[in-house]
Amino acid sequence: MIGEALKGHLDLLLLAILAEGPAHGYAVIESLRNRSNGTFDLPEGTIYPALHRLENQGLLCSSWLEDSPRRKRIYQLTPKGQQMLARRQAEWKTFSKAINATVGI
Amino acid sequence: MKERRIQAYLRKLERHLWLRGLAEQNDLAEIENHLLEAVERGLGQALSLEEAETQALQRFGSVKIVVSTFEKQRKDVMQNILLAVAVLAGLFSAYVDSRPTWDDTGILAGGLLMISGLLTLLGHRKPWLIALAVGIWIPLHDIYLSHDFRMLLVLLFPLVGAYGGWLVRLGIRKTLHPA
Repeated sequence: MIGEALKGHLDLLLLAILAEGPAHGYAVIESLRNRSNGTFDLPEGTIYPALHRLENQGLLCSSWLEDSPRRKRIYQLTPKGQQMLARRQAEWKTFSKAINATVGI
Repeated sequence: MKERRIQAYLRKLERHLWLRGLAEQNDLAEIENHLLEAVERGLGQALSLEEAETQALQRFGSVKIVVSTFEKQRKDVMQNILLAVAVLAGLFSAYVDSRPTWDDTGILAGGLLMISGLLTLLGHRKPWLIALAVGIWIPLHDIYLSHDFRMLLVLLFPLVGAYGGWLVRLGIRKTLHPA
């Protein structure tokens, strides 16, 4: 149920997490889980294709960090990604306000 | 430390991604690092190696789920263009075949085989879909006119072509990017 509801908003969540600073996939997934108090506990392997798609769309860029014990692919927001995040945040604000008003929260 | 279960999972994932033309070495390296990091974290929480591996793999998701997500996220315009070309080529073949002056089945069968092979060679990931898109129109037309279902055998030509082109592409990929 949560997974289905999350589908349309995963991009916003990933962009928002990476807005706080560059991170590798594992950290992004952990942050998604922790910040949602475990609610957004998706199969971790499904996050990588989404990160790659965002990179292909030019919203993220990635580079390999070689100086840690294990090579890590670090993702970060591009200027285009920052613009998209601002737009999606504004859309979400309007949307959630309307939903809350409708359901009486 | 190379955990055996993790490696077995990675090999299976790589095989499935590779068969769909989706395997990229960087992506697989990233997934391997993720799983090894997850196992290390599990060991840090006093889990046994087996428990840590099980937890890491459970959290990551089955190969089926991961491959299906990669497929959905990588739907690109080229797949749709190749499919559209297949439909147009198939409709054109059906039109040519329906003309009373046309009587060269060999050329038409060869054409269906070649175009299907070319489209999967160029990168369409689903040979069965290309074969259907190219080959279904002639049988449909004949079934509509004469209720002759034997014409469905025509589908064999695009099927052979599509899977032939697909196999050649896989061979080329294997040569250029050995797994």
